Amino acid sequence: MVTREDVENIALLSKLFVPEEELDGLTKSMQEIIDFADTINNAQVTDEGFDSISGLSNVFREDEVIESYSSEEILSNAPEQAENHFLVRNRE
Amino acid sequence: MGSISKIHELLTTKQISCTELTKSYLNEIEKSNGELNAYVNVTGEQALATAEKVDKKIAGGEEIGMLEGVPMTLKDNISTKGVETTCCSKILTGYKPIYNASVWDTLNNQNAVMLGKTNMDEFAMGSSCETSYFGGAANPFNINHVAGGSSGGGASAVGANLAAFALGSDTGGSIRQPASFCGIVGLKPTYGAVSRYGLIAYASSLDQIGPITKSVEDASLVFDAISKYDDKDSTSKGYSGNTYSTLNNDIKGMKIGIAREYLEGIRDDVKESILKAAEIYKSLGAEIVYFDLPALKFALPVYYIIACAEASSNLGRYDGIRFGYKTEHYNGTHDMICRTRSEGFGEEVKRRILLGTYVLSAGYYDAYYKKAQNLRGTIVKAFNDAFEKVDVILAPTVPMTAFEKGHAVTDPIETYLTDICTVPVNIAGLPGVSVPCGFNAKGMPIGMQLIGKSFGEAQILNAAYKYQQAANENFKDTDWGVKL
Repeated sequence: MVTREDVENIALLSKLFVPEEELDGLTKSMQEIIDFADTINNAQVTDEGFDSISGLSNVFREDEVIESYSSEEILSNAPEQAENHFLVRNRE
Repeated sequence: MGSISKIHELLTTKQISCTELTKSYLNEIEKSNGELNAYVNVTGEQALATAEKVDKKIAGGEEIGMLEGVPMTLKDNISTKGVETTCCSKILTGYKPIYNASVWDTLNNQNAVMLGKTNMDEFAMGSSCETSYFGGAANPFNINHVAGGSSGGGASAVGANLAAFALGSDTGGSIRQPASFCGIVGLKPTYGAVSRYGLIAYASSLDQIGPITKSVEDASLVFDAISKYDDKDSTSKGYSGNTYSTLNNDIKGMKIGIAREYLEGIRDDVKESILKAAEIYKSLGAEIVYFDLPALKFALPVYYIIACAEASSNLGRYDGIRFGYKTEHYNGTHDMICRTRSEGFGEEVKRRILLGTYVLSAGYYDAYYKKAQNLRGTIVKAFNDAFEKVDVILAPTVPMTAFEKGHAVTDPIETYLTDICTVPVNIAGLPGVSVPCGFNAKGMPIGMQLIGKSFGEAQILNAAYKYQQAANENFKDTDWGVKL
């Protein structure tokens, strides 16, 4: 059962604001989707999880020093920057 | 002959210059994009500069590669250095990557001519292209219908001859479904076959880049060009060999499987077309094998749980600090981040972030995410077992044809159901190609899907090519765009 409080709590974790007037609608649509997701709980699950069956493995390489981007390039998309840093400031 | 071979011939025999060809594409885009909304950004200047380079090479008597001088487009979630890449989201407006995606590096080095960036559902989350911040793309067969999604812009552009080919991305069907809706070919490669470096992430264990083309030959040529090992992508494996040289192999004795579950709950006209395709395969000497794949019934919820969980994590990076949109008025850092995200993301994206956070949160993790991961293993195993018995699986791409505009946004669950035939391939990391296989009574295209075993691209493209030769009437052109 998805409650209004659940949605408020999840929104906080997700760093999203949900306006009061959208809360009921969103709770309802979340409930519908969760009901749908719940169909998997009728499934018989084997012990083999995805990780053991996928055959995928991590790819490793030597840790070599290579040229990277300049701080100017890295900062070029920042909405605000100052003195070669990203700017995060408290604005009232 | 496919569009790419045709263009190569026109260029090398000097029947047209690359500049003239590029200009005619740009003119057609200018003329039709208002109605189709396939492109969200046209890069004419850059395209003409590349065309000039190609023309110089040809004039100098140099040999040119197959993709050299071919006008094409990239989905707007594929990073292009210095060219705005937005994922069709407000939160990335103005973002200009400082590096190229590896696929674009590869094609750019071969002098493919990028005409622009194409429309998509916001962050590739949607099945109609209508969650795009720039509005949806129209279907070239009927502009009152959607082009599909999420790579709707690329499919619309290729279907309307506003590009010779497009690169899209496919997380749960986003290449194959719009290709099916627009009557063209779309290939979702095996997980790891094509580098995803520079593809802006939606769900990293499912995302894969692939081609959207007019013909099977074109899909094969583009796949062969981009399926290289890339050390910048830790999940990259590359593809050994090529698919083009075996396209025309005899398919006599090939075992083509039809899983009964794929035929349940699909529209009659779609089912009829799939069964007709099976008959064509029989006449080509293939053997049709019916079998059961009961694990498929859990594929859709498993997909949405895993995709949303990964999305909620991947989209945590949009904070208004490093790139993209930032809110105007705020009080403190937490408030700034929340406002930026709430104003920058659209409704569907927020819904999936919330859903993903829910299934990963304490108390629900075991019931949803962990269970879904286990079931994912069951689905992989079911496909592995199936490929012990058959070479290729034939299935519908979508249970229906392109819906009318505005239809998809009303009911999220109903929209999710359109992905039912495409998501299993992503869950299992397999290759799948969508090929046009008929039309409904209203003239809208129907697509079929050929699914292969892991790294079985050569086989499915071979099967697709033989079908294309036998049923060429299903590969119908539209009146739009550049006529080669």
